[in-house]
Amino acid sequence: MATGYAGKFLLVNLTDGSCTDFTIADSELQKYIGGSCLAAKMYLDRYPLDTDPLSPENPLMIMTGPMVGSGFPGTSRFTICTKAPQTGIWGESACGGTFGPELKRAGYDGIVLEGQSPEPVCLAILDGQATLEDASALWGTDIYEATDLLKAEDKSRKVLAIGPAGENLSRIAAIGNDKGHFSGRTGLGAVMGAKKLKAIVVKGTLKTGKADENRYKEVLKTAIAEVKGSALAEGLHMMGSDANMDLGMVTGDVPIKNWTVGEDFDLSFNLSGPTMREKYLTKAHACANCPVACKRVVKVDDGPYRTDEGPGPEYETCGTFGTMLMNSDLAAVIKANELCNRYGLDTISCGSAIALAMELFEKGTLTTDQVDGLDLTWGNMGAVMPLIRKIAYREGFGDILADGAVHAARKIGGDAMDCVVHVKGLEAPMHDPRAFHGMGLAYMMSNRGACHLQHAVLATEQGMASWPQLFDMKDDYTGTTSVDKAALVYNSENYGILGNSLAICHYLVDILKPETILEAFNAITGFNLTSDELLEAGMRDWTLKRGFNNLLGITAKDDVLPKRLLTALKEGGGAGSVPDVALLLSEYYAIRGLDERGFPRKEKLTELGLDELKDRLYR
Amino acid sequence: MGVRALTQEWMDAYKAAIQADPEYKDIAKNWEGSVALVVLPDPAKGIPETVYLFQDYWHGDVGEFVVCDKDKAESAKFVMTGEYARWKQIARKELDATKALLQGKLKMKGDLPYVVRNIKTVNKVIDILGAFETIWPDEV
Repeated sequence: MATGYAGKFLLVNLTDGSCTDFTIADSELQKYIGGSCLAAKMYLDRYPLDTDPLSPENPLMIMTGPMVGSGFPGTSRFTICTKAPQTGIWGESACGGTFGPELKRAGYDGIVLEGQSPEPVCLAILDGQATLEDASALWGTDIYEATDLLKAEDKSRKVLAIGPAGENLSRIAAIGNDKGHFSGRTGLGAVMGAKKLKAIVVKGTLKTGKADENRYKEVLKTAIAEVKGSALAEGLHMMGSDANMDLGMVTGDVPIKNWTVGEDFDLSFNLSGPTMREKYLTKAHACANCPVACKRVVKVDDGPYRTDEGPGPEYETCGTFGTMLMNSDLAAVIKANELCNRYGLDTISCGSAIALAMELFEKGTLTTDQVDGLDLTWGNMGAVMPLIRKIAYREGFGDILADGAVHAARKIGGDAMDCVVHVKGLEAPMHDPRAFHGMGLAYMMSNRGACHLQHAVLATEQGMASWPQLFDMKDDYTGTTSVDKAALVYNSENYGILGNSLAICHYLVDILKPETILEAFNAITGFNLTSDELLEAGMRDWTLKRGFNNLLGITAKDDVLPKRLLTALKEGGGAGSVPDVALLLSEYYAIRGLDERGFPRKEKLTELGLDELKDRLYR
Repeated sequence: MGVRALTQEWMDAYKAAIQADPEYKDIAKNWEGSVALVVLPDPAKGIPETVYLFQDYWHGDVGEFVVCDKDKAESAKFVMTGEYARWKQIARKELDATKALLQGKLKMKGDLPYVVRNIKTVNKVIDILGAFETIWPDEV
């Protein structure tokens, strides 16, 4: 058996209540590594694609990777994968926290959930023993309540749970781990809700081995030294991911007023990582085995948005509930974050849907009567808080927004869709491609829709990381040009995508040298891959998921940016600039080996060892 | 005719350029504190030993701007250290200073959140660094 892996996967049939183990051949593990890449392969091999994402036939896969549980920095991750309810294409969402390493200790590399339970259940996995337990009493609780109840007996158990949003099949529902860590994107919480699976509890004491313990100890020392010497790590520790708010406002990265304004330094000052540190931070928090500790623990002591001490917002949330809504009150962002955490809503999709509603309210497309009497004037956070609840419970106007901005725009009609910034149905995260054209290409080509976490383009194009030893790249790219970006995006995808198959935090991918990560991977697994082979694994990963989407009907016509991102802003770091989509795509298609339909070419599929996918695509 | 980089004459020219900039005073109105730039030796490029530069900034005004010794440099609120080639790249706008910091090509001692909060001031000062003609030691 390959080292680093627990050596077995758990198959749970929620329809008949059976739990069985299965294994995957070492050759397959070496080829597909783990995480979302292995999940895509398993999905393609075992399940029909033409299913409703919320039907019993759509499996939900919770995957770790070979480095998870090793103790190496950043290896707390797990990735949840399925056909996504929000987009209808490949869906995955990675998460940090505690669940991944604990699942390995409980004896499993991953869980595949099939079918649908007739009644609410909780899956308990305790040291290799999996059982389904009645969860009727938990149904209806929010994620914080459910987590507390499931930990009441034993606080050391790690919990994965959905809230009311998942139960109510919101297509922007998230899944929460121990209250502070979320698989937010693409609506995976709704799949758990459809399966009537309220939560998963894990605990274990097993240890996974390492191929070469001494080699691992040496590279661990190197990694710790690299983290200690990194300004990026220091910044993340001190300010969290929201350090980007100040920096991004200067460069033009931060979307404002539903992507219509290019610069507002008053907003960024009030919403920034330093402000959170000064006013609301109680302590920094770390995922398992992480020396960076970028997570925020915050408390709002008084005022209308008072909160208990709890998980604080990431940069993305400060964008969607801050700048996007023209809200400069960070306490309100913290409260909105808490509500989304409790209800189990993705903060990017939820905030983006509310930004859409505010814009349409201003334009008169939506009237006060249509929005349940709420005053959705820009920045009115007093109306946002009840709206978040309405979304989670599908109450009134909340039902219109409950599946995200794209579904909402379809229901509202008119020119509402022109106000939505999405690719392939997924609202864009808080990074503006008008200031960084490479990110625009990355949005167009990301396999789960507009995304900043299926690649390392954010780090390479914005200069947080430079890896000339891995591929040909410059130390400093100009954001507002499309020249030389296709190769940068292609290479940054092939490397960055591995974060979700190795299951290692993207920040650590940025902080650590590639050769350090590769050395650790080889010391743990014994696969002894070269850097070229590692990048080839990334190419295979991307191509496999692209093929998955092609089989679902995705073609070149879907590789587009929305109208709003092709409309130049008047001010800010991206003023007057829009990505040259034709240039970016033509160069990228050639490098990536895609044909004019947007399908991977036959020879590319053969080169990557994906002949079965080739047969299906070229049937 | 430019001034030779990393000399007192160059520091004087730099200070004058900052004082002459019409936007600086407003952008830097919140900045408090001194900055030291430390240029690591590179004998092959005309830098036989470490060069220490001390700059004092206070709410849009510019104070002492001197080539100094190690002790004075280390007394600054912020100390930025890098190789000569990196400083030259930054001055010539071939490498953004924030990117250099994040990539480990510059090291900083000091309050990082303060720098992030005042990143516009930092960018402005660096922008001005490229605004006057400089003769670089390795190009003499």
